[in-house]
Amino acid sequence: MSDKPEISIAGRRFIAALLLICAGLLVAEFIIHRHAYFALEATPLFFALFGFVAFCIVVGGGVLLRKLVMRAPDYFDGDDDA
Amino acid sequence: MLDAIFAIPGMMLILGALVVPLLPPFVRNYYMLALIAFSGWTVWQIAPGLHMTANLAGIDLILVRAEAITKPFALVFHIAAALNVIYAMHEDVKITATAGLAYAGAAIAALFAGDFLTLFIYWELTAFTSVFLVLAGNTARSMGAAMRYLLMQVASGVILLAGAVLLWRDGAGFAITALDATTPAGFCVLLAFGIKAAFPFLNGWLQDAYPEASVTGTVVLSAFTTKLSIYMLALCFAGLTPLIWVGAVMTLFPVFFAVIENDLRRVLAFSLNNQLGFMVVGIGVGTELALNGTVAHAFAHIIYKSLLFMSMGAVLFRTGTAKASELGGLWKQMPLTAIFCIIGAVSISSFPLFSGFVTKSLTIGATAKEGYFLVWMALIFASAGVLEHSGIKIPYFAFFGHDRKFKVKEAPLNMLIAMGIAAALCVIIGIFPQPLYALLPYEVKYDVWETGHVLGELQLLLFAVLAFVFLIVRGLYPPEIDSTVLNTDWLLRRALPRVVKGLAMPVLALWFGAVAWAQKTILTIFRISEETSRQSGLVSGIASTGAAAGIFLAVFALMLLARLFM
Repeated sequence: MSDKPEISIAGRRFIAALLLICAGLLVAEFIIHRHAYFALEATPLFFALFGFVAFCIVVGGGVLLRKLVMRAPDYFDGDDDA
Repeated sequence: MLDAIFAIPGMMLILGALVVPLLPPFVRNYYMLALIAFSGWTVWQIAPGLHMTANLAGIDLILVRAEAITKPFALVFHIAAALNVIYAMHEDVKITATAGLAYAGAAIAALFAGDFLTLFIYWELTAFTSVFLVLAGNTARSMGAAMRYLLMQVASGVILLAGAVLLWRDGAGFAITALDATTPAGFCVLLAFGIKAAFPFLNGWLQDAYPEASVTGTVVLSAFTTKLSIYMLALCFAGLTPLIWVGAVMTLFPVFFAVIENDLRRVLAFSLNNQLGFMVVGIGVGTELALNGTVAHAFAHIIYKSLLFMSMGAVLFRTGTAKASELGGLWKQMPLTAIFCIIGAVSISSFPLFSGFVTKSLTIGATAKEGYFLVWMALIFASAGVLEHSGIKIPYFAFFGHDRKFKVKEAPLNMLIAMGIAAALCVIIGIFPQPLYALLPYEVKYDVWETGHVLGELQLLLFAVLAFVFLIVRGLYPPEIDSTVLNTDWLLRRALPRVVKGLAMPVLALWFGAVAWAQKTILTIFRISEETSRQSGLVSGIASTGAAAGIFLAVFALMLLARLFM
């Protein structure tokens, strides 16, 4: 894991804007009706939660996969390529 | 006769490519652009139906026929071919210019092939022309990757031919039509398409070869082969339910590999595989909405994927590396490339107002409509994954992240123009999808702009971005590490040679034992024949030439195996 990075002023502004938009999307959830095909999809905030959790699973899955398939950069270099 | 040959779509580019090496660099590029424009204009006129047949030794060949989905593919192949020429204008490499044009021509001609024999010719031609683009990487690695690439591509062609012959034996003829995948013939054809469409476990060549090609070569490669295969799958196997699951797996597994891959062009190759998955799901579902989704997605995808490869190519061209662990902070030096890359990134992530949204929504909508709950979940999960690797990782690690203080210039003007056109197309399709929808095989009745759908999409994507920010700020995002990520090509590169070597040891022992025994026996026979010939000539006749040829072949086959695997 990398250390906590220094966040630039531009980065802080980006994060502030993102938080604002996300808050707006949460509010919109209770104003706009989402047409749902599946029962689970109709759960309030389904897509917001799914997006956040899925992203974390993708990254977490990658970290686990690294243990299985990561090798040195020159792993194949000694092979006689036929 | 000659005008008949030129009337075959794409043939103009294949034959026109032969002149390319003779032209001076300045003329060459404009010649190729003019040729592509003219070819595009003639192909645009072709209405669906049968247009040219030939009879060769009693076999009916369908040289030109168009289906409802042919036009959008042919159009976007021409757009890609033109962008490729513009993107490569700064360089003077005859071999890739020639190969690239012929490759595009072969892919276009293949779209219009009406029988499997004609398709086979173009299928192999795309392999033999495109391999030069991998070779143009001009490194020891690209050399090896090119050979493995060619092996897989040619294997696909041979399997396709086997399928064609089996079809013919079954009395079905060679015509390209809907096939039954449970027959040996249908399965062979499916397998051949599956290799080039990078199905799970058949995908290794894609991530192996594409990132090893030259800066411009990778961009050319990204457009044609895999989408030609998607097109053929749609023609022959629409509605084949297992493809839904194959496609779903294709959308999922590359996502995890892309997280940990360090070479950003290889990340894009994994991403390409994931995008093909969405298209394969659409083919498997097979409804009007789903097939519209596949065709529209292929169209938009060729452009934004090309844009992303172009932007990473520009980075590689200027800095000499495409590794995330060595890049960062380039937005200051290459602001336009950064903007174009971000447009490609938000397009592939399917943000509303960009091309991915108006196309991918059709496929995902089709799975929901048909009640494939798990597949639908897989596709929106994969959408969050696309956002991770193509939407965020690519632009973030190249242009932002850790500032490496590069002293480089912005990309060359021609690269910027090519990226600018592609970026403009991503935005135009995203805002005005109607012209693209009009090209699709069926009327589009699905409303992608339904407020609730837009809201759901924005929530999914922006909360995924929020998750990224959260992981970065908390120091939980895994660092980029220079490494090799094992993929299914490991089976071909490591497992198979080892197995063959393992098997070869006892075989060799047996071989040398047999040789020693044979020498002894032959000497004995000579001795006996010498003795007997003086008396009756019993054993001194002439040996069978057939047996001699057999022995020769066996020895030759062994030598070949030894060369390949030892």
